[in-house]
Amino acid sequence: MYTIGKLARQADVTADALRYYEKEGLLAPARKTDAGYRLYDEDAVRRLRFIRQAQRCGFSLGEIGEILALRRSDAACCKDVRGVAMDKKLQLEHKIRALQVMSRALTELVSICTDETGPLDECPILAALETSIATQVKGAANG
Amino acid sequence: MVKVEVFSSPGCAKCAQAKTMLKTVAEEFGRDKIAWREVNILEEMDYAVDLGVMSSPAIAIDGQLVFASLPSAAKLRAELGGRLR
Repeated sequence: MYTIGKLARQADVTADALRYYEKEGLLAPARKTDAGYRLYDEDAVRRLRFIRQAQRCGFSLGEIGEILALRRSDAACCKDVRGVAMDKKLQLEHKIRALQVMSRALTELVSICTDETGPLDECPILAALETSIATQVKGAANG
Repeated sequence: MVKVEVFSSPGCAKCAQAKTMLKTVAEEFGRDKIAWREVNILEEMDYAVDLGVMSSPAIAIDGQLVFASLPSAAKLRAELGGRLR
């Protein structure tokens, strides 16, 4: 059996995170000692590994809960899990696209600044951001 | 000619069944009227993202995402009928 501290160290998470997973219905201790300390078994270790790996793949705790529920459901099968994974991949691809747009915008901003020693009130990056904010406000007012 | 593109991933049995049914609906309009293309989302991920596909399966018509999930036969028939009118 593992105490919460031991399990947390093993999975490189905090004890607070484990208590939060419990509150979210993702990970429960096998039992509690008479003094009220949580004790976890090997199942919890496997389950925690599963949760951490799914988080690394971009799943939120809510989504991980859904996948774990699918795993318990008799009616669900591998295609349901595959569907969830496919949709998550699509979401990630959209996010990557949005990040690329942001990165390109930053490249443009950095490239217009050719003099790092200039005074702050002549900073072309700040000016460009001000202009784009003004354009957006104007656009919103006209729209 | 209306271009219908069905985005799904290979190996999805549920999609395969529904796609066959929907393809039959499209073919009712005549093969000269509807260009039907099945898109492997894993091979054409960039294109799927371009069109705004957020979940699979989905259907785009004439380069625009129209059904974010597979529609009923009646809905597809109504959509295609409206475009061919």
